[in-house]
Amino acid sequence: MNQTKYILSAGLAFSEAADMKKLRHESMQGWHLKRFRCAGYELEKGDNEDVIYSIDYRLLEPDEKDEYFGMFAIAGWTHVCTEYNMHVFKAGKGTVPIYSDAESARDKISRLAIPVRSVTIYTVVPTVLFGLLMNFTSGTIQTVSQFAFYIALIFAVPSVMTYLATIYHQLKK
Amino acid sequence: MKLFEPLTDSVFYIMASLTEPRHGYAVMSLVEETTKGAFVIGPASLYTIIKKLLKEQFIVMHDESDSRRKVYVLTDVGRQTLEADIARRKVMIEMAEKGLERGSIG
Repeated sequence: MNQTKYILSAGLAFSEAADMKKLRHESMQGWHLKRFRCAGYELEKGDNEDVIYSIDYRLLEPDEKDEYFGMFAIAGWTHVCTEYNMHVFKAGKGTVPIYSDAESARDKISRLAIPVRSVTIYTVVPTVLFGLLMNFTSGTIQTVSQFAFYIALIFAVPSVMTYLATIYHQLKK
Repeated sequence: MKLFEPLTDSVFYIMASLTEPRHGYAVMSLVEETTKGAFVIGPASLYTIIKKLLKEQFIVMHDESDSRRKVYVLTDVGRQTLEADIARRKVMIEMAEKGLERGSIG
């Protein structure tokens, strides 16, 4: 069986470039990205390779996949793995970047922000509701809603931070 | 992305390539050949721009029999938009050219 290892992502919305750089360093030491796995990446042992990695976000319809991946392949970018709307590609150093213009690159971040925004809504709304319930009830309902509030808060904080990061990157570009 | 008025260089090159029916790869190689590699369009940019042009109805699908190489071509609105941007670019070029000519005489 092939040797594999797991590395944690720093959060694509926060530091996509850092993640891609980390993957490159791993590849130079013979550890190549195989697939996304639970907030990180699974790497597989192979020969040392000097490659660069790039990620794109796009939700593809089944009839769009051939053309999309075909364009990357022809431009010298090998498709590595896909998870939901995230696609990672690798190529030799010096290959034309997948985004060659600033305008399209900015669009990419707004596409990343779409699922992030829905997750944020689904975590913030219950947090607020349970928060209100906790303050305006008493007894068992209060205890239960207090408990639910903290659970919801645990999910809401990172998703709000991620959403803010996507907004920040959109404004910065 | 603000595509229109003025067209970005990438959008301009892609629209100029689609005055005749072409697939994405042909657009990439035509631009690279014409500019001798001085201007290149990455695959993600190309895909993003093609989708935007379709949405704005500046281009239409001409032939989708090959799912890897869908062929697109400019619409009438697309041609008018491209012509308007050519005129805008000509003003820039002429001003600079005339300025340089006058400068070299004086």
